[in-house]
Amino acid sequence: MDCNFKFGGKIALLILGGLLCLLGASADAQTSSGQLTITMNVQSSITLVFQDNPAVGTTGFCPLTNAGTNNVGLDLGTASFPGNFHTSACVNYTHLTAADYQVSSAFDVVVTKANSSSPNYRLAAQISTPPPANVTWLINNVTLTTAVFTTLDTTDNYATPITKTLQVRVKNTVAAQVLLETITFLATAN
Amino acid sequence: MLKNYISIMRGAGLAALMLYGASLVAQTTATGVINGSLVNKNGISIQFDTDPAGVTLGAAGTNAATANFGAVSAFGPLSGGVTRPSVTAANFTVRTIFDVQVIQGGLTSTTYTLTANLAAAAPTGMNYKVDAVTLTTAAQTIQVNGAYSTAIPHNLDLVVSTAAPGAGGPAVGTPITTTINFTATAN
Repeated sequence: MDCNFKFGGKIALLILGGLLCLLGASADAQTSSGQLTITMNVQSSITLVFQDNPAVGTTGFCPLTNAGTNNVGLDLGTASFPGNFHTSACVNYTHLTAADYQVSSAFDVVVTKANSSSPNYRLAAQISTPPPANVTWLINNVTLTTAVFTTLDTTDNYATPITKTLQVRVKNTVAAQVLLETITFLATAN
Repeated sequence: MLKNYISIMRGAGLAALMLYGASLVAQTTATGVINGSLVNKNGISIQFDTDPAGVTLGAAGTNAATANFGAVSAFGPLSGGVTRPSVTAANFTVRTIFDVQVIQGGLTSTTYTLTANLAAAAPTGMNYKVDAVTLTTAAQTIQVNGAYSTAIPHNLDLVVSTAAPGAGGPAVGTPITTTINFTATAN
């Protein structure tokens, strides 16, 4: 009996050892590794958007279409010299002299910077096509031309709404027509 | 009896001659065996592939690829295959998509777990994400049930602080290189 027990015990030990070996082999999970190396180059940048002024809807503050973008529309409605006629309730209509009138509306310009130590920026504007004779496009009383970007401000603060007023001055001799203009604003980091 | 004895002896002699002849023929042939063996080892491998919507990887199809985002900025143009999913006051994110393909052989495993870690601490003003998981130098689990032999796309996001250099933002105008280690483990 004693001999049989010893023999059986050795077999049990062998089986146990085999199981442990198998367990150890299965626990050694298969892995594979790789490396992805990334390269980039951060650049300073600024962006410009047009926003409705907080006073939008009141006289002198018409709503922009696509407000919050850098490509907006500003409809000043229909106006004429006689009788202070203007259809838009939000424009500011005035007779400047006995021979011309002005329609205007204000909006905000916001310039934001990223990865830049620039303290402020310059703002300029330019119209895209020469207006008809006796029609003038202005921003804050600064006449715009097609020749160059006309400086509006030299030290505007980033991330701060800068209110600008678009004015159209029309002499009473100007024939009835649609006046269209694209005004490009240029912000340059200082 | 004598006749029978003679007949038996003749027969025996004939049989002996035939056996001799047979042994002469057998000596012109030879036989042999080849004992072939093959150890079929199991294992898995990982490779990076260019995704159709992402940047073209350098050394695509290998386990040591490169991804060049080119010039990145919050508001400026980006290279092909790079998008800018978000811009906030604090940071902006640029993204590309790359594929990971893991191949296995000899395993009963049907899926794998993918982890990733930065090879070194992230540069100032930079964070790296794979599938929205922020990477550190410790391994982070990206996927727990990846299918083998399939190019699986992953988003690689670089979150760039908008702060100026020296104020918590990244260096500007100089290449920033970072290595991400990926490990696929058979489930």
